[in-house]
Amino acid sequence: MAGRVALIGYAQSYHRENMQKTREDMVFEVVREAFLEAGIRREDVDTVVSASTDFLDGRTISNVFLSMANGAFLKDESKVEEDGAFALLYAFMRIRAGTHDIALVSAHTQTSTFNPHQVSFYTLDPLFDRQIGILNDIAASALQARIYMNRACVSEEHIAMVALKNLRNAASNPYAHRRMPDVSLEEIMGSKPYYDPIRELTMSPRSDGACAVVLASEEKAYEYTDAPVWIEGVGCCQDGYLRDRSLERLDSLKIAADKAYEMAGVKDPYAELDVVEVTERFAHEELLFYEALGLCRPGKAKVLIEEGVTELGGALPVNPSGGALGADPICATGLIRVVEAAKQIRGEAERHQIPEVRKALAHGQFGICAQKNVVFILGG
Amino acid sequence: MAKRNVAIIGCGQTKHSSRRRDVNLAELVSEAVYNALEDAQTHLGEVDAFIVGNMQGFGGVAQPEQWLGDWIGAPGKPVLRIATGGTTGGSVGQAAYYAVASGLYDVVVAVAWEKHSDSKEPGATMGLTHVGFANFCHAFGHGLSLRNLLATSAVGAAAGVAVYQARFYMHRSGCRIEHFDMVAAKSRRNAAKNKYAHLQWPNCTPEDIAKTELIAYPFRYGHICPASDGASAIVVAREEIALKKAKQPAWFKGVAAYTDEENQLQSESFGGVGVLDPSEQMGCRVSAMRVYEMAGIKDPKQEIDVAEIYQPFPSQELIFAERLGLFDDGTAWQALERGETDIDGRIPLDPSGGVNATNAIGSSALQRILEAALQVMGKAEEHQVPKKVRNALAHGWGGVTNFVTVTLLGDTPAQRR
Repeated sequence: MAGRVALIGYAQSYHRENMQKTREDMVFEVVREAFLEAGIRREDVDTVVSASTDFLDGRTISNVFLSMANGAFLKDESKVEEDGAFALLYAFMRIRAGTHDIALVSAHTQTSTFNPHQVSFYTLDPLFDRQIGILNDIAASALQARIYMNRACVSEEHIAMVALKNLRNAASNPYAHRRMPDVSLEEIMGSKPYYDPIRELTMSPRSDGACAVVLASEEKAYEYTDAPVWIEGVGCCQDGYLRDRSLERLDSLKIAADKAYEMAGVKDPYAELDVVEVTERFAHEELLFYEALGLCRPGKAKVLIEEGVTELGGALPVNPSGGALGADPICATGLIRVVEAAKQIRGEAERHQIPEVRKALAHGQFGICAQKNVVFILGG
Repeated sequence: MAKRNVAIIGCGQTKHSSRRRDVNLAELVSEAVYNALEDAQTHLGEVDAFIVGNMQGFGGVAQPEQWLGDWIGAPGKPVLRIATGGTTGGSVGQAAYYAVASGLYDVVVAVAWEKHSDSKEPGATMGLTHVGFANFCHAFGHGLSLRNLLATSAVGAAAGVAVYQARFYMHRSGCRIEHFDMVAAKSRRNAAKNKYAHLQWPNCTPEDIAKTELIAYPFRYGHICPASDGASAIVVAREEIALKKAKQPAWFKGVAAYTDEENQLQSESFGGVGVLDPSEQMGCRVSAMRVYEMAGIKDPKQEIDVAEIYQPFPSQELIFAERLGLFDDGTAWQALERGETDIDGRIPLDPSGGVNATNAIGSSALQRILEAALQVMGKAEEHQVPKKVRNALAHGWGGVTNFVTVTLLGDTPAQRR
């Protein structure tokens, strides 16, 4: 119990709109690459935790034909039915419990198989909201955006500035799906509107992709690598249902972040964190995250974006990889944030590398309007 | 590394039936959760986290815990959703163990459910056909050979796999269809003593079962599990809390879920090499070995007092009892003939009636853990086995018979101070 746990290897796919591959092939390739990168063989792995959902995969028991692709034959295996960052949390628990030493976490979604926005409709209260049929994740997020804009005096331009920052960052990330190096504020604000104020370029694209991470206990980590990335803190929380919660704040993210900060001994996140990777399915969510993560005072998130604090060269870069606006293979997105944060710590991020990263925050979410959140603090 | 001792301190389940029209899904789940909290003498404020699971396609609600979390007091707390097909409940129970054993949380509620009657189509059967078929359609788009259609569709519904498995077992062990009648009759009789069970039939005899019509050889109508509405929940806590809250906690002594070859019916182009005999169940053997190693059990035949086996089809009680090391290979049906597996026998199997009598799929494997815990805690009331229970084994299977969960509960903690 209470031993430290490290990331010793990871891999992600080149996320695309339609991968033209079976899920099995896609997952097998990232898992194989993660093993190679970690310097382990399949035989060394004790446990496998995967992440995918039946609805997004369009079939019952979404992990059933992926055991072989995940290298899980005669391994202690389980599946978390939400974002891969939650699977990472489960694998972290398994290692901390002292029953396993090396864990593989894999997550995937092929949104080209089934429309994820249609799936979001099925997550609504089946007895009321679903019968009325006016909400889905985009519509609900549009309401959230308007509520937040009114509370914090945020304009559509602020939201477009978040998208501009992330899309520009995504252009230098070879794994990202939406590559728009020359994108401008006007282009974002003139892109196709879905539900006011959500536009095509202020929401995440539909991507196919997969991601895999190898975790190891403290004793084993140094056997395989000189540069382990430690999980120093983790927090997880679910909010109330859409109609029963306050949409203007992200209370569950605040609880999750406070828990993670407490575990990692972070007192002042703005000063102590060097880089932050968040899962912003919609550009305005990133502003809500700034507040919930304690990076600014309530209502002041727009100042961070106005002053360029969270840009690639700013004081606290957020989403140097481009975040979910760059690529969003739903169940893999949170795990990719963890991988991108780990790459920053190890200095492997190439064109979007931030100098001297010691502590990084990675965030994953699931559900309409970020109902469920998980926060990891990583350290070198 | 020193492991933390973890125990089940409370169990709660709902009455199971074909249609629980008196409650909606959220009310059904909360019924189990509050029963468990009451049994554990624990209030919601003391709960640190929830582990939840069901097979979301069967009820037609995606990520249902996001909607019904409010009914079980989840907002503001961590909720982890686990789903692995038939073993969902077992995986949920084991995740609760890991959550507490990791030291992250002190008290965790694990809850799993299924409400088949919410689905318009005959939920389980159609839903399970999608296991293979949907994947086939997807793979077909990427150039998979048409010849695999037959194999993947056959993988589909659970009965499709189970008849192959049963035939292999009959051939290998010399067991006959009459023995399946005996298992099914025993399940119905045991279920009559369990007030939460679905198919209750006091004094059911193998002859009664033999009168029912043959569905797919070797299974008769009377052999096959029902599709139930129901939920089950357990409260899991660390040692200090468990000792304070429960007179006799059910301690986790071993947990394992080793996955077998997914290619159980030798279809080409899918992963793996193809298991020739789906009753072989290497994953179950390995999981059982691991669990006994964790618990320090040398001879399971002598040391296991009662087992709750996941047996939607009667053949599976015999197959998995052997694979769990409770009987020698191919001899479980002989023990059945001698009455050793009856509720008052040498090693009672499924004294609750098991999955054969009650099958709310997502919940079924958690119910096995729950029933094993009740036996250890001495709270099983009418179906309590008439002996001191030191070690109770809970099993679950799922996927295309390639997933398995094995959990061992005992009356003393695994790690002594």
